[in-house]
Amino acid sequence: MNKIWLASYPKSGNTWFRLLIANLRRDSPVDINDLPHSGGMASARARFDTVMMFPSGLLTHAECDRSRPDYYRATASMRREEGPDDRQDTAIDNVQFSKVHDAYTQTSLGEPLLGGPSAASGAILIVRDPRDVASSLANHGGWSIDDAIDFMASPDSGFCNRTDRQPNQLRQQLGGWSRYHAGWLTQGDLPVHRVRYEDLQEDTAATLRGALEFAGVTVTASEIARAVDFAAFDELRGQEDRSGGFREAPRPHGAASFFRRGVAGGWHDELTRAQRERIELDHGGMLAGLGYTW
Amino acid sequence: MDLPVDPVMTKINAVPDTSRYSISGLTVAADLEIPGAVALTDVWQTADVTIASGALPDRLDGATGGPNWQMTKTAFLIVVPGIIRMLVSNGADIRYALIGDTAIEDAVAFLSGTGFGILLHQRERILLHASAVRVGNRAVLFCGASGAGKSTLAGALVTAGYDLVSDDFCAISIDAKGVSHVAPDGRQLKLWRNAIDRLALEERRRAPVRSMLEKFYVEPRAATACPLQLGAVYMLREQRATLAPGIARPSIVDGTLMVRGNAYRPAIVRRMAQQKLYFDASASICQHAGIYTLTRPMAFHDLPVTIDWLEAHWRDIGLLTRAA
Repeated sequence: MNKIWLASYPKSGNTWFRLLIANLRRDSPVDINDLPHSGGMASARARFDTVMMFPSGLLTHAECDRSRPDYYRATASMRREEGPDDRQDTAIDNVQFSKVHDAYTQTSLGEPLLGGPSAASGAILIVRDPRDVASSLANHGGWSIDDAIDFMASPDSGFCNRTDRQPNQLRQQLGGWSRYHAGWLTQGDLPVHRVRYEDLQEDTAATLRGALEFAGVTVTASEIARAVDFAAFDELRGQEDRSGGFREAPRPHGAASFFRRGVAGGWHDELTRAQRERIELDHGGMLAGLGYTW
Repeated sequence: MDLPVDPVMTKINAVPDTSRYSISGLTVAADLEIPGAVALTDVWQTADVTIASGALPDRLDGATGGPNWQMTKTAFLIVVPGIIRMLVSNGADIRYALIGDTAIEDAVAFLSGTGFGILLHQRERILLHASAVRVGNRAVLFCGASGAGKSTLAGALVTAGYDLVSDDFCAISIDAKGVSHVAPDGRQLKLWRNAIDRLALEERRRAPVRSMLEKFYVEPRAATACPLQLGAVYMLREQRATLAPGIARPSIVDGTLMVRGNAYRPAIVRRMAQQKLYFDASASICQHAGIYTLTRPMAFHDLPVTIDWLEAHWRDIGLLTRAA
């Protein structure tokens, strides 16, 4: 097994990308609720507990981080562990794609949190215009857009970082939108292939093909075309409506639906001018670095 | 005149330097204090299990394992990085060594949880990751992985008038007639601050489970000390898309898989080739008690509704008598 991290800041198209891969070489669209989900995610708690044989919930976030490099190195070639949550990662041929939202950081012992090159052979980094991320994040979390913009600017921001309860996943430090991307793009441990959400919208087949080539997966043009059809926005949204929901959708306090608009540039009619300008001020350097214009 | 010293009397007069606890029906002699466990006043009782600090090997000969643990048929060596190393042997002995300047109070939860769980697996108990409360004269279990809401539901049920049986794991023994029994794993709940606040249990809050965690031992209103016959086993599931809320009875095959999947450490069951043991136990539990799924929203304000469902179900299956 060859592991590739599917890294992205939240709400940047990670799920869509996983659905595209899951739909390769299928005769009918994969059920969105059969998609291997958080069980295979880097921050999945149950899998950590199963592999390490002790409860992560009894560790502080920092203590847990110090065990994570070993955990990822041990699970690099492990496809499945028996347990209450035994879904495997999204895999094709001999390549396993593992979703990760964590920033690329070092533990207090100086090791890469994700275990470095012995834990994965590379990373596909999915990036999306932060002006679209802001409104999608607000919708997902049931936040105001201004709250989402604050979150994206905060170096201390993260998911599952409360200390008064056991979050359902291990803590994921994000570090803010710009630092998140700087961390992944400047680390020297793993080769990174960058996929822009907007390019995935513009030419899904070619963008997917480029990413799969990077990962070492060879697929035919017709296989790609079929996967693109099966993971088209209308298909996903239709499945979500028909099946009563998508289990990866946020809990009731958040969005009504996960697959919301599926467009690039939606921020033009969703952000006020002040909100847009604030994002551009907060993230101008990285926006330019990733090829976004304003 | 000096009286001759009787060596036997000298030995008996010495107060043992270990405490005695009852955990999952076993008498435990430990060289440390185990918060949350049922302490026994009779310190002379013969112990089934010994927990003591001591020197540990770096590796086990002929072992297989994972990143931080190794096991053979009779021994299990595990490291909780930066905190504690433990060697669990023959279902009877837990030896431990603290790492660095870790205080024993910050490591004991791994001994009474992780270490003791491994020991119960070695004793071939049917060990489920479950909390339990007493309903009538039966134990009702709630299975689920860490974070599934076992302790919170148990805490809410204790507040609603049911005695606590177990907080984290349940060791099931099956007698010659095929009837299952559960012995309590301790006398206290372990709850996070958020749950303590939401369940209004502040007055019952005791020591933290580890000094740097906002997770605390909580004294239940009442706890059961003796083994109880098993009444029902519920698999906790969160109500999300496509999972309908409520209580349902899975097929026997699915129920069997759920029991094995909710073993405290399924990988140990697999590696010790205990699958048949769990299969037979599931069949017996299906016949004498019942295996159900409980699919519910996980918000605190939904707990009363969940308890309503459970009580209605307990009346249906005869664990509670129907109101006249």
